[in-house]
Amino acid sequence: MSIKRRQVLAGSAAVGAASLASGLAAPAIAANEPIKIGYLPALTGPSSSTGVGINRGSELAVKEINDAGGINGRKIELIVRDTQSDPTKAVNGAAELTKRQKVSIVWGPLNSGESLAAVPLVARDKVPELHPCWVDSLTDPAKYPMCFRNAPTNQQIGGAANTYVVDVLKLKKVAVVSDTTGYGTASVEAYVPMLKAKGADVVYSGHIDAANPDLKPDMLRMRDAGAQVVMPWSVNAGFLSRLLNTRGDMNWDIPVVGQTTLGSGQTKALLTKPEYWNKVYSNNFRNVCFTKDGKLPARASEFVARLDKANIEMGDTLLWWIALGYDGIKLIADTIKAAGDKPDQITAYWNKLSNWPGVYGNITFTPQQHNGFQDAEVVMCEVNSLKKGAFNLAPGYAS
Amino acid sequence: MAAVDQRAPAPAARSGLWARIEKASPLLAVGIAGLCFPLLGDDYWAVIIERACVYWVLVSGLNLVVGFAGQIAIGWVGLLTLGAYTTSAMTAGTALPAFPAYVALVASAAIGALFGVIVGLPALRLRTFYFAMTTLGFSTIVTQVALAWKSVTGGGVGTPGPVFPWPFDPGWGFYYFCLLLAGICTWMTYNIAGSRFGRALVAIRDAEVAAEASGVAKPALLVTVFLFSGALAGVAGGLFSSLQSYITPDAFTFDLSVLFFISILIGGRGSILGPLLGTLLLTVLPEFAAPLVAWSTFLYAALLLLIVLVIPGGIADLLDFKNRRPLERHREIVPRPELLSRILPHPGEPNVLALKGIVLHFGGVRAIDGLDLAIRSREIHGLIGPNGSGKTTTLNVISGYYKPSAGEAYLNGKPLPFEAPPTRAAHRIARTFQTPRLIGGASVLENVMIGGTIDGAGTFVESMLALPRHWRDEARLHEAAMLALAVVGLDQLASVRADRLQHSELRFMEIARALMLRPDFLLLDEPAAGLSAEEIRRLGALIKQISKEGTAVLLVEHHADLIFDICDRVTVLNLGKELAAGTPAEIRSHREVVSAYLGA
Amino acid sequence: MFESIVSYGLAVGAIYAMTGITYNVMFSASRVFSFTAGMLGMLGGVLGAYFILQLGLPAIVGLVLVLACGALLGVVTEIVTVRPVLKNIEQHLYVLSTLAFALLVQQLTAIEWGTEAQPFPRLIPIGQGWLDQQFWLPMLACAVTIAGLEFLYRRTLVGRAFVAIAEDSYAARALGLPEQRLRLASFALAGVIGALAGFTGAEMLLAFFGNQAILNFYGFVPVALGGMGSNRGAVVGGLALGLFQQAANFLVGGIFAAVAVFVVFIVVLLLRPEGLAGGAAARRV
Repeated sequence: MSIKRRQVLAGSAAVGAASLASGLAAPAIAANEPIKIGYLPALTGPSSSTGVGINRGSELAVKEINDAGGINGRKIELIVRDTQSDPTKAVNGAAELTKRQKVSIVWGPLNSGESLAAVPLVARDKVPELHPCWVDSLTDPAKYPMCFRNAPTNQQIGGAANTYVVDVLKLKKVAVVSDTTGYGTASVEAYVPMLKAKGADVVYSGHIDAANPDLKPDMLRMRDAGAQVVMPWSVNAGFLSRLLNTRGDMNWDIPVVGQTTLGSGQTKALLTKPEYWNKVYSNNFRNVCFTKDGKLPARASEFVARLDKANIEMGDTLLWWIALGYDGIKLIADTIKAAGDKPDQITAYWNKLSNWPGVYGNITFTPQQHNGFQDAEVVMCEVNSLKKGAFNLAPGYAS
Repeated sequence: MAAVDQRAPAPAARSGLWARIEKASPLLAVGIAGLCFPLLGDDYWAVIIERACVYWVLVSGLNLVVGFAGQIAIGWVGLLTLGAYTTSAMTAGTALPAFPAYVALVASAAIGALFGVIVGLPALRLRTFYFAMTTLGFSTIVTQVALAWKSVTGGGVGTPGPVFPWPFDPGWGFYYFCLLLAGICTWMTYNIAGSRFGRALVAIRDAEVAAEASGVAKPALLVTVFLFSGALAGVAGGLFSSLQSYITPDAFTFDLSVLFFISILIGGRGSILGPLLGTLLLTVLPEFAAPLVAWSTFLYAALLLLIVLVIPGGIADLLDFKNRRPLERHREIVPRPELLSRILPHPGEPNVLALKGIVLHFGGVRAIDGLDLAIRSREIHGLIGPNGSGKTTTLNVISGYYKPSAGEAYLNGKPLPFEAPPTRAAHRIARTFQTPRLIGGASVLENVMIGGTIDGAGTFVESMLALPRHWRDEARLHEAAMLALAVVGLDQLASVRADRLQHSELRFMEIARALMLRPDFLLLDEPAAGLSAEEIRRLGALIKQISKEGTAVLLVEHHADLIFDICDRVTVLNLGKELAAGTPAEIRSHREVVSAYLGA
Repeated sequence: MFESIVSYGLAVGAIYAMTGITYNVMFSASRVFSFTAGMLGMLGGVLGAYFILQLGLPAIVGLVLVLACGALLGVVTEIVTVRPVLKNIEQHLYVLSTLAFALLVQQLTAIEWGTEAQPFPRLIPIGQGWLDQQFWLPMLACAVTIAGLEFLYRRTLVGRAFVAIAEDSYAARALGLPEQRLRLASFALAGVIGALAGFTGAEMLLAFFGNQAILNFYGFVPVALGGMGSNRGAVVGGLALGLFQQAANFLVGGIFAAVAVFVVFIVVLLLRPEGLAGGAAARRV
């Protein structure tokens, strides 16, 4: 027994010493320091579908910029900390990026639940932050002067979806559900009053644990309440697919209108019958949807060509995620090139940004408005028209 | 053979302030390192150390439950969740008007204490594994309630955590706040560990039967510990919510429960320093390499398996250099009965403990079938008989472990109730056991001090805060235990771990523990089993002197020579009934006894 | 709605019952409760999905492989986590060693297989709606398990040997029974039963690493309520639990259903710590 103990003790001391040495490495002091961008994606965990898609775009952007010589001769270094869809890890990761790595900008987190915890902390450390999360409270020019959003807010998304249900499909009785994440819960909280204000009758609203394998009880309750449409809000492909499968198994012929993940390749892969994807409409974004003549807008089709050349897979995710990831890095790079990498330079530049031409969206910020995405660019699409991550607009959808 | 001979009992271990500081020096070193850390100016590591401090606040309390009391409470993250939401809701004003952060923290402690008791209560009734499951179920329920009770907790969206005002505001102020609270918790739990309550907890874990015989009331003590541990968990929750700045139900994962639990086991049960280092290690480890973060729970589990299989004593065991020193090979036990007069009281009136008409069934078997027995002061009463005749069962009835289906027991004429073993100690009834019951990981001195648990005057709170009465109790117990060890001849081994002792030494240690009660009645269950002839002779002399000092002795034995040598009266049992009773001479020649038991 | 409650409730109850039997078989052989029962069920589903969906093997072959893996895991559990700690059983170290091992496997599965619930293939394409085979397969498996165990324990010599070492291991050893080998075989058997439970139930529960925690708890409730070591109690308890849980799900929804189950569990245990059918505790002094 003592021998074993001694070996264990010696072994652990060696491991400890090695990791201590690598962990406390001194920062490099080179002549042409790279520009450090902190990145907090959720690459694993229940909310990782967004992270995986966005990551492809971000990595492509970093590669293109560095291959072209970097920004003013300095390369971009993307420092990645996988949040694992866990707010605690997001906090640890954000702390490391701002305090130890001393990054110039934080890109992310990519999920609202993690941003709710990380945004105040990054703001406290006075580091500029750009994120694509939708929950409304995640930008606030007064509380978080250096935090900007290059994606729509829940209000914009919900507005488009609710308008489609009430004004286009002309349905009155609505069931609104979500999973139990921060994003899902916030969405339902926001959308139920919006629907009521439009004169719809919310016959059922609730939250379902995304890991629950059996959605029959909840769907039966929705049907019994008289719902004519189900609006689910979740980025969890498994949950959404199970909802669609249950609808199909029940032979319940109602439309499903909701979160863009409904159209993702991951969701499609988990359906038990391909026809379960019919009559499903999700939001999406004009710049990456097929126009009436079946082609993508110019910037998007050129982007898709570049993705093809770089052999980046689109079919199992969504084009707009990849485009968003690409745009985020490009915007950051253009900012640093034009204004410099100090916090006040970045913030000042962004506060005046007007119609920055992204693949995914045209971004405009003002000192009072840190949400850069335009209302008109949020649209509804028909998910079973999926082709290489992009979709047709939903039927009956005006312009 | 080196005879261990001394004129006076070995000198008591150095007490006094300097010795106390020396004993606590590793903990003090850690604390000083924490105080000096800000000099390095590394903000990022400050967050990590803060996190370790917050976790340690919870783990220090849980350590008493898991490491000391041995209760497998795995789902303790539920209390962290409660504390975090209580503090956040109270400072944000979602349920009641907004309160200042410090008040909210105190409220979290109260809520934590309440639920600590609620979660812990099943431990008094359920087996180990069942209790572990209920704690797991509890933590799941708390998370579900947090998700459902949107108005107070914000549901899935979560709620912002409190910001403590100056001087403990975010940044180095908060760092010192966490360090301060961690230090206070360390100090309090360290005090409890070194008190009769800490020793009683460990006794409940490792030698529950002996703890009961020494008068330790398990329910009251466990409830106290759950209360204390819950309160600390509540405070940790409040600090956690401030550290995170924003809490959502998915921040309180099962992985956290695992981290807390494993920190204690890696550190070593029954130690304060071990789990402290364990918590630090497990919090800091994933930060050394980013890829390690995804594997962290896997590594924790692997570490736990390694510890359980290879080093069950954990880090504390590895650091226990004192107990690696080899002991003398040929040790002799030389009791000193002449010192007994300092321990045992001289009773005024003689005491009598009488059993009348005891009948006890185990299922279909009549273990005791109508027994009358009386033991008196200054009398050694032997109880002999074949295996299965009911000798140990009789002792257990007197000790109160079994309730007979018929019959009564009387102590000096007053009825003695059954099924209440801890009450026997107050009646000054002490005993030893057929198989020695010891706390292997504790020192011989600590094992013996358990015997005197009920004679402490200080309360749990006084021990926790190291108030004067606690020190007086400790000094008194220490002195009494050293004296008892000197009486049985084991004082040279006082600071040795009990599981390093030989079997015969353990038997004498049990007697020392029993003597701590200054017993009026001493029940000995086969004390000579496994002893050499010389040791039996010395044991006999010791028992005789104990009897002379006025104690009533009931001696269950197989060694006929010892019985006939020292007993004043002998009762022979067979098949649960008295076969014969009388003086040793009468019994030795009794025909039936000879044929049934003694042989020609 | 009623057919849904009955079909889903009995089916998932059968899975819980079989997990409870897994606990019981391990307990009978060694007097220890192992945290690995849920792990076996989880792997039954995950490995089944892996063999059939990813490797493309036919369902029968997948089943046989899964059962073999279950037996192997049972054997590993016994050798690594139970045998070394049997000597100080009062220390309850087995709780820690089996917990550590189960966690190891769970984390490995989460990292390698993924944290999302993956679909499980449809095993036999018969049955519609509430008569679908996904419901009566677990019930069939449970019935087969019970019948098999009864036959084993009462009619075969090996089974009687199992019973002997469970009742009194000293006496059994004195009679010359190879205690260690019998215990090993018992754990292998438990592994097969646990894996069978997971495999037949995966069409409902999906191939999900989180099933381990779910089955650990809900598989333990029948044992606690029915009395440790009592397989009949486990079956009754499991089916009752499945029905109760499903009814609560339909009537009040997920969160309250979980709370209700837990509260009932605690109350019954506190009133009767030995379970509704268990025996008295052994002498401890």
